[in-house]
Amino acid sequence: MSQSALTVTAPGQAAGRRRRLLEIAGAAAIAATYIFLVLTQPADIANGPASFSALVALGGFLLGAVLLIVAVLPVLPTSTVVLIPVALVLNVVLGQLMGSTGLPFYIDAIGTVLIAVLAGPAAGAATGALSSIVWSFFNPTVLPFAAGAALIGFLAGMAARGGLFRRFYFAPIAGFVTGILAGVVSAPIAAFVFGGTSGLGTGAIVSAFRAMGDTLLAAITKQALISDPMDKAIVFTIAALLAYALPRRTTFQFPFVRHYRVLAGKSPATPDA
Amino acid sequence: MKQRLHPFTALTAAASAAVVTTAAAYWPLSVAVALAAVFLAVRREVAGRVLPAAAVILTPLCLSLLVLHGLFFPEGQTVLAQWGPARVTAEGLGFALELGTRTTACVLAFLLFSFTVSVPDLVSALAGRRVPPQFGFVLASTLTLLPAVSVRLDRIRQAQETRGMVVRRGLVSRLGALRLQMVPLVLALIDDAGSRAQALDARGFGSPGPRTTYREVADPPAQRRFRAAALVFAAAAVAGRIVASWPAGVPS
Repeated sequence: MSQSALTVTAPGQAAGRRRRLLEIAGAAAIAATYIFLVLTQPADIANGPASFSALVALGGFLLGAVLLIVAVLPVLPTSTVVLIPVALVLNVVLGQLMGSTGLPFYIDAIGTVLIAVLAGPAAGAATGALSSIVWSFFNPTVLPFAAGAALIGFLAGMAARGGLFRRFYFAPIAGFVTGILAGVVSAPIAAFVFGGTSGLGTGAIVSAFRAMGDTLLAAITKQALISDPMDKAIVFTIAALLAYALPRRTTFQFPFVRHYRVLAGKSPATPDA
Repeated sequence: MKQRLHPFTALTAAASAAVVTTAAAYWPLSVAVALAAVFLAVRREVAGRVLPAAAVILTPLCLSLLVLHGLFFPEGQTVLAQWGPARVTAEGLGFALELGTRTTACVLAFLLFSFTVSVPDLVSALAGRRVPPQFGFVLASTLTLLPAVSVRLDRIRQAQETRGMVVRRGLVSRLGALRLQMVPLVLALIDDAGSRAQALDARGFGSPGPRTTYREVADPPAQRRFRAAALVFAAAAVAGRIVASWPAGVPS
């Protein structure tokens, strides 16, 4: 094992400050877009299909996601970069496999969360955003949700760093909280860009809130608060189960896992090298 | 369209079409863009792949929009029919039509791009710009990994079945079978990634600096001018929309 390639990104590099600024700018773009959209949401959508809000949502969230990718991607070690395609493939394939069990959830972030657990929040955020961009080659409606996917990866990495994956009952709780935040951030995209959710189950929940007189954004946010936390709790649980099902030798070769003691149990007696 | 388009030209065209359609918010234009995308798909002989892919994405979305806005639109004034809490309003149907056609146009434009672009061309075009080289790797690697994984998954399923895995009815049995397939797949992929990282590092993948590529993608000046014009047009459409509907409560 070439241990040098697996080290956590060394801080204090020459371009480190510029990258840190880009990261902050990306996060700020996403946060500012969300706040702007909520403050200026069109009071009466009957006047037109919220085209202005759609443009702001698309522009702001995509800019944030791209800034995060540009900041994070070049400093990721090669061993993490090669995991990103794996994560995307897992998102898709495991999502389909889960669909075959007949459970009523769209579980499409397992790979992102697994990479975040193994390689940290920066890798998780980059994986989430890149997943959306690459997956949009087959399904362009995924692209606007890149910022939400980056947030999921980042929060999963932070939860792993905080040791929430050391106890099996903390993982679903971390997923639940992540789902709340990610759902709230993604709701303006669903409301202003697509005008609703795809899928009849979620559509029925939104319809129920609309029938009570909520605005479209409020209805979709409430729907997201119902479905997303549950979905992410399941995703985090599956990712935790997978991380523990993998052999120690594999998981402990990731410096992030060793350094922050992400997983319970001792590291294998002598990590080679 | 005899000559192959530069990947960026096709991408700019698709993105500009999507942005202008979104900014215009005028359903006849959305329909026109969607029809143009279908026409180009037929001419490039990818309609057989683009249209089913678009249908899978758009059918649930459009149905959901129709049910949601067609029946429940509290802002609507002109009531066409009413059953209890559900009211069919003209405004709601119009809203569903606007958003449905807009999304259809954008999805078709982007799918036309992704089903006609040559991925090697796109990756080498990206390498020529100031795009992090890792991005091109992730893109190309994912697109080649996806078909390989389904083959691999099939092999894992066969292997587990010869070892006695039987999928019965019931959630527990299904989840157990799922575990038997997921764990070997994830382990194999992560293990492969480790050895790929070493191979890539040995070839200088992680080292900084510009990259060169053997593949030359022709970029005629006419296409460059077209890209610039498309970007200016899209920017003008966005600016026009922002000026036209800047929210009243926000100081500009």
